[in-house]
Amino acid sequence: MSRALQWIAVLVVAALALLPFVPGAVDAYYFSFLFFVFLYAIMAQSWNLVAGYGGQISLGSHAFFGLGAYTTAILWSGNYLWGSLYDAHPGMYYFDPVTMLFGGLVAAVAAVFIGLPLLSKLHGDYFALGTLGFGEIVKVLFVNGGDFTGGAFGIVAPASAFDTLRPHYWVALGLMVATALAIRALMRSRYGLALIAVRDDEMAASANGIDTLKVKVAAFAGSAFIAGVAGSLYTYYIFHVGPDSVFDLDWMLLPLMMTVVGGTGTLLGPILGALVMYAVFDLARIVVPDYHPVISGLTIILAMLFLPKGMMRLGVMQRRKSA
Amino acid sequence: MFNLPPPEILLQLSLNGALGGAMYGVAAVGLSLIFGTMRLIFLAQGAMIILAAYFVRALFYGLGIDPFLSLLIVVPVGLVVGWLIYQGLFRKAAAEEDRNVSLLIAVGLMFLVQNLMTVIWGGNTAGVVTSYTATGIELLGVRTSFTRSMGFLIALAGTGLVMLFLRKTIVGKAVRAASEDMDAATLMGISPHRVNAIAFAIGISLAGAAGVAVATTFPFNPFAGFIFSLKALVALALGGIGNVTGALAGGILLGLIEAYVQFFISGGWTNAIAYGVFLLVLMFKPEGLFSRPYKKA
Repeated sequence: MSRALQWIAVLVVAALALLPFVPGAVDAYYFSFLFFVFLYAIMAQSWNLVAGYGGQISLGSHAFFGLGAYTTAILWSGNYLWGSLYDAHPGMYYFDPVTMLFGGLVAAVAAVFIGLPLLSKLHGDYFALGTLGFGEIVKVLFVNGGDFTGGAFGIVAPASAFDTLRPHYWVALGLMVATALAIRALMRSRYGLALIAVRDDEMAASANGIDTLKVKVAAFAGSAFIAGVAGSLYTYYIFHVGPDSVFDLDWMLLPLMMTVVGGTGTLLGPILGALVMYAVFDLARIVVPDYHPVISGLTIILAMLFLPKGMMRLGVMQRRKSA
Repeated sequence: MFNLPPPEILLQLSLNGALGGAMYGVAAVGLSLIFGTMRLIFLAQGAMIILAAYFVRALFYGLGIDPFLSLLIVVPVGLVVGWLIYQGLFRKAAAEEDRNVSLLIAVGLMFLVQNLMTVIWGGNTAGVVTSYTATGIELLGVRTSFTRSMGFLIALAGTGLVMLFLRKTIVGKAVRAASEDMDAATLMGISPHRVNAIAFAIGISLAGAAGVAVATTFPFNPFAGFIFSLKALVALALGGIGNVTGALAGGILLGLIEAYVQFFISGGWTNAIAYGVFLLVLMFKPEGLFSRPYKKA
């Protein structure tokens, strides 16, 4: 990233962080729109880490998102963390960092458990199929989880009435920035180089002493951690966590689509893709409510036909052509 | 432990499971062909099956054409639609190294088809009820439904025809060669676009045949297709990716597993167990259950 672009990014983030102070902004429609853009951008970064940088196409992000969401709802409704402190402070679980961390950790641990056998045995498309199957299994486990998971209905978090979206907005923005910075730092580290080496040529990477399985499982777990935290964040927005809502395949498909449209394996691609694609979907929902999923489908197809490398690479290609 | 039920119930279970599973099988044969040449997980296959089912229903209620007779229309239409889908949507992406692109086009197509069906026919469950829908027939001493048995026959015939095509015709041999090694096949003068388009045409026409079977047997809605795609993928993995008869056998096996799990454990666990078997097979026998392991040169 060039120096100028870095400054632009800092300014944009600062402006977004100050936005809730603008009178009337919180009640405006675009406020919740931005919250969802941030949420999807986090999910897109999560997918980009394992698939874009790591080259392992995972079709199981929705499982990790749901695990994070359920972990948060279960810890909260059962008050497993804070005991009597919770009685004194009823708002305690709201955006509680420890609860959110648990959301991410549960997803990451699940990713290690499923990633070790899958990634050591399966390559390419077979890994993608395996993660898809894993996602469906997790969903069925939660539907059949009895009282612990609330069965097919799910769990309603013991939240008081919803008064403002401000904290959601800030937390989502903060997490999006933190995710991007963490991935940036990661990709500049020794580990990041190893991950890219594994993606580009696994055999050569392994011949150079890289433990490819470890590198791939770590990327898978890191991606799951991010998705789990995003799921946790979503619980604070939706309050009712059910198998059909948080394990919905859209939580995997949409971030995947946003990343590819924005540019896989780039840092800003997932964010840009989330913004543009969510804007298209939302606009379609407002303008042609009856047809909006049709428009969404068309948009994906058109984007893939005419922009297969993603928007971030558009500039690069043009520069190369003119050079 | 549970008591084993009497043999006639076991037979009944097995028969119904196998007959239902054949529909997953025929969907899997289509997926197998497309995956074979393009290395694409064509997630829209289920949506295409449901689209065909709605088409069959429209032919029946609009023009009074018998659902099984409509095979004569649906299968050729499927061939043309498959060819067009390839030429219009996947031709460019097939040349792309990044296979996410084709996967996403398939997802986009799935969204598009599902929601177009909702716009046209509404989101409610639909079905085709003919004079013989409730008719039962006696098979191997057990009673089963006539339409299910017809669905099984369609699956068998469809797979058989595809097998004949792949084994006996020169174009079929080209498709097989391309599935084994696209680069080598291209060097031998086989056009990748032609084999891909043929694989797509046959895949979609098989979706049409499966649509006839689905329309006559089950109630369906625009969003029922995705589960079908997933089940077909499981069948595909059980049978061995790229193995056409294996795909049909995998579908039948999946139908049997589902029937037994539903009976002995509970309906709620069918999917988890089906996908669990799927993962185990992918991990320990990725070449499928029905093929001998072969050494790569």
